[in-house]
Amino acid sequence: MRPEAGQFVTAIVRRDLTVVRRSRAVALPIIILPVVLFVGLPLLLTVALRLGQSQLAELQSLIDLLPESIRRLLGEGPLEHQLLTYFLELQFAALFLIVPLLVVAVIAADSFAGEKERKTLEALLYTPTTDVELYIAKLLGPWLAALAVGGGGYVLYAVTANVLAAAQMGRLLVVTPLWLLVVLWLGPAVAALGLGVLVQISSRVRGFQEAYQLGGAVVLPVVVLVVAQAAGVLILDALAAFVLGGIIWLIAGLILWVGFRAFRRESLLLSA
Amino acid sequence: MKISPPAISAKGLTRDFGAVRAVDSLSFVVPAGEVIGLLGHNGAGKTTTIRVLNGVLAATAGEAHVLGLDATSDGPKIRARTGVLTETPSLDERLTARENLGFAAQLFGVTRSEVAGRVVDLLDRFGLLDRADDRVAGFSRGMKQRLALARALVHRPEVLFLDEPTAALDPVAARDVHLLIRAFAAEEQRTVVITTHNLVEAQRLCHRVVILRQGRSIAVGTPAELSQQLSGAGQVEIEVGARQVEQAAAVARAAAHDAQVELDGDVLRVGGLGRESLPALVAELVRADVSIYRVTPSEPSLEDAYFALHAEDDA
Repeated sequence: MRPEAGQFVTAIVRRDLTVVRRSRAVALPIIILPVVLFVGLPLLLTVALRLGQSQLAELQSLIDLLPESIRRLLGEGPLEHQLLTYFLELQFAALFLIVPLLVVAVIAADSFAGEKERKTLEALLYTPTTDVELYIAKLLGPWLAALAVGGGGYVLYAVTANVLAAAQMGRLLVVTPLWLLVVLWLGPAVAALGLGVLVQISSRVRGFQEAYQLGGAVVLPVVVLVVAQAAGVLILDALAAFVLGGIIWLIAGLILWVGFRAFRRESLLLSA
Repeated sequence: MKISPPAISAKGLTRDFGAVRAVDSLSFVVPAGEVIGLLGHNGAGKTTTIRVLNGVLAATAGEAHVLGLDATSDGPKIRARTGVLTETPSLDERLTARENLGFAAQLFGVTRSEVAGRVVDLLDRFGLLDRADDRVAGFSRGMKQRLALARALVHRPEVLFLDEPTAALDPVAARDVHLLIRAFAAEEQRTVVITTHNLVEAQRLCHRVVILRQGRSIAVGTPAELSQQLSGAGQVEIEVGARQVEQAAAVARAAAHDAQVELDGDVLRVGGLGRESLPALVAELVRADVSIYRVTPSEPSLEDAYFALHAEDDA
């Protein structure tokens, strides 16, 4: 008897994620990046702002350069509060997107190209899965992992940011509509887009390292977003996050559909 | 009387890769319970045939049925009822032996309550129970092959495909795998398809063989049938008394006119002699006072037949 589709998908997702956990080369970046980004960096920033109180006035020029729309978001409080809001709430919202992207890039590279490299793909192709089930399972593993690490990273960041600055600001940081949209809407969209790109890359390369290195390029748009925000060209507020998320979902859906059309057991086998 | 359908049937099966024809109009039928060998050099189309039969590759032309299911349209259903040992063990080396079998069991629909027991049974049967929780990366090649074979059996398939099951194994590991295959075929009465270029292996394990060349079948039959096609008879070695070999050769030539007689020290080699003619020849030699120390008939092996068939195909 051929099992239910859900059973295949669950089994492949569990297997892929177990295999990922067992590889240092794959698991370490997934653990280290959120810790550096969500604990190390805010800690460094907050300590620097505290220790550099005497030079704080020099940063006023940075705030003055920002467009009016952004300055409005920073409020009318003391400069240190404005800077904390600017960095911890606005800039980090864009930086956050690196995490789901990197998680997807690492796991998808391991799951698609890595499986070819380890020569475990052929046995999987001889299971009773259909091409559709195989494709969904292979996408779902990295995407769910990206969501889990992103969600966990957000909780970690919210705790860190609030331990460091909530008392000083007199309010909770990061628990805002913008952040909820980033974590629950934009982050998953960006992860899906990264996944679509990685599927395309992995079908053209033979090994994990090659796929991972090429896949690293998916982080570039996020870097552009961070730089654009720092330069005041673009501000990621709740509306922008919602609209951007919608656009990215559309593009991701298109790329994943194209990937699905090309995803055939036969071509996987012959490219392995 | 109800005739049970064949486990596998292929008719005009063809598969091209661009301009290269990997499988060429292949037709054969495998009754349920038979162990059949697909023999051929590298590139003869053996692995491609397995892939097409399991619906992993599509046929370019022709048709194939496995367990009554169409290989082109029923791939997932076929694969649920077949087990495949691929040429490389294709195991997750980061996982333990138990995990490898457990995941495979889930993928083949073994119920959750049965998985643990089934996995332990197989690990025990394949001599891997004491390494059940070790990662496969530390296993020897033979252990990996046994584990891969166990994985192919985890859902108790009705048809088992073994692609070069002992390639690159040392003789001890190869013997272990042979014993396991024989036990499976005999105890479970399942259909087994073995691809190999190891002719000794094929002769030991297979009821029938299909000899493939450049994707075409050039002969089908039992190893004995194919061997007997070779000049109809084998060779016999007769060791005679010192300085009697010339006399023995003369007797042999007189007794069997069509036989080819060769001398090698005190040994007489008589080729092309029918099995039924051997007692008469020995009787003639005894009558001529030739001392006989040893008579060793040697039938042509499957290997002899294999090379003869290839030579015939060349011509």
